[in-house]
Amino acid sequence: MRPRYLFAFCIIWLATAAAHAKTTVIDDSGTLPYNAAVAMRWQQEQPRGAARNQLTGTLQLRVRLNVSAWLRRTGRIYMVLPAQQPGAMTAAWTTQGRLLPGQLVPGTRALVYSGPITTPFIEDVVQLTITVDGRRMLQTYPVNFRFEMDEE
Amino acid sequence: MHQRSRGSSSPPAPMSRRAAVALAVGGLAAGGAAYAFTATLTAAAPKTIYLQIGNGTFTGGNYTPIKGNGQPTGSPGNNATINKVSVSVAAASVGNGTAQAMTTDSTAANSFWDGFAFCNLPQQLYIGGFYRTTGTGTGSVSVIATVPTSLTNAAGDTLPFSQISWTSSGNQDSGAEPFPAGTFSSASLNVGSIGQNQWAESCWTFSYKNTVVPAAGTYTGRVLYTLTAP
Repeated sequence: MRPRYLFAFCIIWLATAAAHAKTTVIDDSGTLPYNAAVAMRWQQEQPRGAARNQLTGTLQLRVRLNVSAWLRRTGRIYMVLPAQQPGAMTAAWTTQGRLLPGQLVPGTRALVYSGPITTPFIEDVVQLTITVDGRRMLQTYPVNFRFEMDEE
Repeated sequence: MHQRSRGSSSPPAPMSRRAAVALAVGGLAAGGAAYAFTATLTAAAPKTIYLQIGNGTFTGGNYTPIKGNGQPTGSPGNNATINKVSVSVAAASVGNGTAQAMTTDSTAANSFWDGFAFCNLPQQLYIGGFYRTTGTGTGSVSVIATVPTSLTNAAGDTLPFSQISWTSSGNQDSGAEPFPAGTFSSASLNVGSIGQNQWAESCWTFSYKNTVVPAAGTYTGRVLYTLTAP
C-alpha cells in the first residue's frame, strides 16, 4: 500500500505544481500613473433603483508591461484584482486595442492578452472605471492591481 | 533562481507537497507586492441632500432619461419660491365644523425624477427629496417642520395652526407614504423621513378643520421645513 500512496502523492503534487508553476507577476512599473487618485462620485446623482448606493470613478492609465522575459514565446496575460478593502467593487476597462477590455471583481482575474510575445513591452491606454458600494467607503482605500503571465 | 521566486519553477525533489504549495503562494504574494499599480479611491463630495416643498428646480430637465455617458439629464438647483396653501371660508360656514379643502399655488405636479404627474393640482402640494451619504450612514434623515403657534391677521387676531391638517398620497403610489398625514400640532414637527441613498416623495392635501370662530380677516402664517444631514 505504501508505494500506491506514494504514487498518488506524486500525481497530486505534480498537478499542483503544474497549476501554479507558470504564473508570473509581470513588471508593470512603467505604468503611468502608478499610484493614481480616483475621485469616486455617485453613479446616479439622485438615488433611485438598484444603483443608488454606487460610487464610480474613472482613471486613464498608460499601461506598460515588461514582457521581455517571454520574448518570442506565447503567453496569456491577466489583469488581477486581489481581494481587498473596500470589498464589493467592480473594475471595468476599455483599451485602444493592444489589450483586451474586460471587468473584474475582487479575488478574480481577467484575460487581457493571449498570443505570441513579439516585443519587450506591451503598452496600451486603459480607461479604468471602478464602481464601489458607497456604504463601504468609510475612508480612503488604496486598491492594488497586478498583471500575471501564464506562460504556455 | 529567478523563476522560483515568482512561483514558477519546477519543485525540488525532497520537498513535501505542503511546503511546495506554501512556496507557490508565498512567491505570488511577494511578486504582487513588487509590481502592483494602485488606484486610491476617495469619496468626492458624496454627501448630498435635496428637499423640495412645492416648486423646485432642476436644470436641464428631469433626472431621466440617462444620457449616453451614464449621467442624468438634469441637475437639482435652488428655488426660492415660497408656495401658499389657502382656503376662503364663506361667512355662513365659519366654525361649523365642516372641514374645508385647501388648495395650493404650487405648480409642481410632476416628479423631477422622471416627469411623472405625481401630484394633482391645485389640491396637492409636492414634498420630496433625497439624502446621499457614504459609509453606513445614520439610516435616515428627518424633515422637521417649524410651526408658529398661530396664524395671524392684520389686526393681530390669531387662529391656531392646529386647525390645519393634511392627508398624504401620490398618483400610482401604494403602501406607506414617506411623508404621512399629520396636523400642525406642535412647534417642531417631524413630518417624515428619507432613508440613506433614497428618493422619497409624497403629495399632501391640506384641509382646514373649521372648528373655531375667529375674527374676520385674512390669516397667514409660514411653516419652515428643514432637512438636516449629520
